[in-house]
Amino acid sequence: MDSNQNNSRGQSANLSSNPLYYQFGSDNPLLSMGMQQPFHPFTSPFGASSSTNIPQMDWNPGTMLDNLSFIEEKIRQVKDVIRTMVDNGGQLTYRPGELGQQQQAVNADLTCLIVQLISTAGSLLPSLKNSSFLSHPPAGHMEMANHVGSSSSMVPNTAAHSEDNNEDLCSPEDYEELFKGFTDGAVEDTEIENVLVEEQDTKDGDEGGDAGMDGDNLPPGSYELLQLERDEILAPHTHFCSICGKGFKRDANLRMHMRGHGDEYKSPAALAKPPRDASAEHAPVKRYSCPFIGCKRNKLHKNFQPLKTILCVKNHYKRSHCEKSHTCSRCHTKKFSVMADLKTHEKHCGRDKWLCSCGTSFSRKDKLFAHVALFQGHTPALPSDEPKDSSDQVGLPGSHQEPAKLASSVGSFMWGNSSGDDSALDVKGLDSCSDDFLSTANFGSFNFSFGQLDEFVYAVPSRSIEAGSGMPATASEHEASLTDWSIC
Amino acid sequence: AAPTPDRAGPPHRASRSPTTTPSSPSSPSSSSPHKSAAFLAFLGVSFSAPGPKRIAAALFDRPTDGMSREGQKLDQAGGGGGVGILVLSLDLLGQVLDRLSEPRDRKACRLVSRAFERAEAAHRRALRALRRERLPRLLRAYAALERLDLSACASLDDASLAAAVAGAGLGIRTVCLARASGVGWRGLEALVAACPRLEAVDLSHCVGAGDREVAALAAAAGLRELRLDKCLGVTDMGLAKVVVGCPRLEKLSVKWCREISDIGIDLLAKKCPYLRSLDISYLQVGNGSLKSISSLEKLEELAMVGCSCVDDEGLELLSKGTNSLQEIEQCFLSKLATLKETLTMLKLDGLEVSDSLLQAIGEGCVNLVEIGLSKCTGVTDEGISSLVAQCSHLRTIDLTCCNLITNSALDAIADNCKMVERLRLESCSLINEKGLKRIASCCPNLTEVDLTDCGVNDEALQHLAKCSELLILKLGLCSSISDKGLAFISSNCGKLVELDLYRCSSITDDGLAALASGCKRIKLLNLCYCNKITDSGLGHLASLVELTNLELRCLVRITGIGISSLAIGCKSLIELDLKRCYSVDDAGLWALARYALNLRQLTISYCQVTGLGLCHLLSSLKCLQDIKMVHLSWVSIEGFEMALRAACGRLKKLKMLSGLKTVLSPELLQLLQAYGCRIRWVNKPLVYKDG
Repeated sequence: MDSNQNNSRGQSANLSSNPLYYQFGSDNPLLSMGMQQPFHPFTSPFGASSSTNIPQMDWNPGTMLDNLSFIEEKIRQVKDVIRTMVDNGGQLTYRPGELGQQQQAVNADLTCLIVQLISTAGSLLPSLKNSSFLSHPPAGHMEMANHVGSSSSMVPNTAAHSEDNNEDLCSPEDYEELFKGFTDGAVEDTEIENVLVEEQDTKDGDEGGDAGMDGDNLPPGSYELLQLERDEILAPHTHFCSICGKGFKRDANLRMHMRGHGDEYKSPAALAKPPRDASAEHAPVKRYSCPFIGCKRNKLHKNFQPLKTILCVKNHYKRSHCEKSHTCSRCHTKKFSVMADLKTHEKHCGRDKWLCSCGTSFSRKDKLFAHVALFQGHTPALPSDEPKDSSDQVGLPGSHQEPAKLASSVGSFMWGNSSGDDSALDVKGLDSCSDDFLSTANFGSFNFSFGQLDEFVYAVPSRSIEAGSGMPATASEHEASLTDWSIC
Repeated sequence: AAPTPDRAGPPHRASRSPTTTPSSPSSPSSSSPHKSAAFLAFLGVSFSAPGPKRIAAALFDRPTDGMSREGQKLDQAGGGGGVGILVLSLDLLGQVLDRLSEPRDRKACRLVSRAFERAEAAHRRALRALRRERLPRLLRAYAALERLDLSACASLDDASLAAAVAGAGLGIRTVCLARASGVGWRGLEALVAACPRLEAVDLSHCVGAGDREVAALAAAAGLRELRLDKCLGVTDMGLAKVVVGCPRLEKLSVKWCREISDIGIDLLAKKCPYLRSLDISYLQVGNGSLKSISSLEKLEELAMVGCSCVDDEGLELLSKGTNSLQEIEQCFLSKLATLKETLTMLKLDGLEVSDSLLQAIGEGCVNLVEIGLSKCTGVTDEGISSLVAQCSHLRTIDLTCCNLITNSALDAIADNCKMVERLRLESCSLINEKGLKRIASCCPNLTEVDLTDCGVNDEALQHLAKCSELLILKLGLCSSISDKGLAFISSNCGKLVELDLYRCSSITDDGLAALASGCKRIKLLNLCYCNKITDSGLGHLASLVELTNLELRCLVRITGIGISSLAIGCKSLIELDLKRCYSVDDAGLWALARYALNLRQLTISYCQVTGLGLCHLLSSLKCLQDIKMVHLSWVSIEGFEMALRAACGRLKKLKMLSGLKTVLSPELLQLLQAYGCRIRWVNKPLVYKDG
């Protein structure tokens, strides 16, 4: 006892005289090596994550400027197209059906431009309805525009108008009518998105064209045909808060949001759904065309089948012509471009099969359990692959294979050579070598040897054995003292 | 059982026990072969009279300095001339060992005598391992092992468990893996494969365990007992695996496994007809489950605390089906009628209980042994009187927070329930020394009394001191208790094991001196906020060799010196709380690192320690699993980093300031988590308090 005490006192004296232990950090190379990493996060750049998505409305002047120059560019293109139309104006004749179609196309193009403008200047949305804005529209935005992609389509009557003067070719009435069409469309959009869930569940939201064939298969020309642009289809939000600029997909959500800005938005009138215009009843039936040339849903296709709603356009376009960017977090294989599709899939992914050990599968858990209860020896089968993603939770079973891997990567003192491979444990090997691997020299080396601490932190087993043998107490002594205090 | 690792001094030191007598009446070394019968007879007598502790003393008592030499001599003599302990067969020695209740004494035996060591190797049934490195060798050494407790085994993981049980463990029946968060399904599969006779497994509080782990256990067809408390990942699927795989299940606890639903319980009831005990507390199961459970004919014990979806209707279903139910723990409502004859234990915690209901219980359940009325509103003196008038067999009465009762309720208990052993009266502030006087004189069997927040005084303790059988005494928040009161207790309650003096701020070092001289068996002691205590008080405590849990929160006067004497004296210390002991410095940690080798839980938040002390502490204490270190403002980030690296395989719980989350290296945090360590990040301002 006394000798031990002396020993420890000697050691502590040793340590206190050892300069290494009072300078954490600074000039210890080992330490600074290990420490460098943790300090980096401090210097992480700020603001690099700001959205670069153009249609996304936020109060970043840079983005705003980008959007405006984008619109400007587009207007210039449209202007050029119209100019060519003006030049060829009187020479071409059109079939009556085609004429109507061209008219629709112009409407669509205008709508497109306006939507673009509105999503840029989102704060002006509530004031759009007042006539002062409509009757004095900014001059630069009034050019009639045609779709650049379908440059071959021309509209005679607008062309006739534009013969006079490009600046005032569009009277306020025309504009108002156009705008009404647009706002109606927007309202309809909201409504449709509100019923999105049912549509998804019944699976008929798909392609929308099914609806077109389901009974109301309208003959071409009996409806107003609109074609939205790619940017417009993919624009995430259509309703913007006039105070903070936050964007929403649904007007109802915007109205809920507005309540947070003050009591004046909490009145029943403000919260009520804006009344639908009576004139909307008489608005012509609208159908939509996909902007992707060559698509069956594009108006130029031989067997063109129009899409019924804007939602159908959105879903069709994303499903057929966009990258599938949403990956299922359960199976990691299925990909979707429409978020709702992913959610529907995830609801069933990995669960749609409740398997019994006998191989029978069931669609519902209670059915499986009833089966298991009925037959002797049958048992539910767990999915063979690790179903859980352990990255977000601590201590899930999946993470149990990790320590060995991690430990070896850190160079810590993890023993055993079966480092985390997925096969069964190499128990035999471990057992045969356990006498060496498990000797206390590995673990006991720093029992009395605080002096080896820096070694220990990054020690690999062989080094710690060396360290242990250099200690006054030999390994066997360690063993003797360990034999009894490791149990009771 | 308290673990007794002791590597500080030479091994024989550990065998010193306070009851040793200077000489033994019959020295085994002088015995001849035919004397062994007489020797055994002596043993037999001794077993009944002075208790097992005395035997160890009698067998091995020598002047302590020469003890190990003597032991060796004894052993050599035995080996050479056929005399001494060796003449006894291993069987007989095993019998001797069986009757030694204290692990400390068994250890003394095996350390001084090879014969005893061999006997123990052949005979030992239970093992509680604290370090995984020794595990394979230990399991091979003790071939007859039946019960294996790995709940305190530091940094146990799949590979080490598999390696340990691979060669040995054929006879193992019971395995406790509670809180062994590093063990996953691979380890369990290996365990089940290596232990064909496995009957009981405790996986409780392995929060990461899920269906795969449980499915691995399902391969043990002979399983009878299974505890899965707080295995959060277990769903109906896992439960189904177990109930199909282990049809002989008798005891099952799935407390807190919130993913288990009625469907799983239904299958359980169908597949495990032998179930005797079931705990479904805090599950979200409804009356449907109770209907299934009611078909279990052998069920005797059912705990369903906090099953909020169960109501009267479900209980009615339950009472129709089963007729052997003996114990119920539940937020009970009213349908007691059909169970009343067999019911022995009833807990109504947290309900509104009227006098008439208590009277009905008293009339119906005459065999009641335990009644729990903790936090019940509406319990009055009249209610208690009418209850105890009928139930004279009551041994445990829990009246926690029934703050309407007065001395007259105590009088009623004292008059009717002479057998009462446990009496919990926390927050019953209307009682005083007069009531306790009656209780103390009428109920000599009292072993546990909880008077927390009752405002009792020294006089009450003087009366209570009559109960010499007292094991547990809780006096927290009774600030009028002084050293005088403690002196009464320590003069007569020598068996005391647990004492709670939380915020008894009048207590000084003298009180602790009296305590340490009178109550040598104390294992758990709480002295939080008794801020008159100084280092010399801790010096007195150092003589309590059996102390395992000690809380010293906010003792602002104690320093490293006091901690040192404590660490040297109290070798069995497992849990120590030094939060807000502002004067404790590195010297204290060095002492702990050097001597308190059994320490498993430690709180050093707000102490004045540095990174150096922390590193040394964490690299030295091999059993440490849980450390709280909030606001160690003297420890640098490097200090934390180094200390945690040194202990990262062993720690299971960690509490630190959330500010460290971003500055500690991510790879270290990953490693900690991969080893199953749960880190609790707290974010609170540094505020100094002193009382």
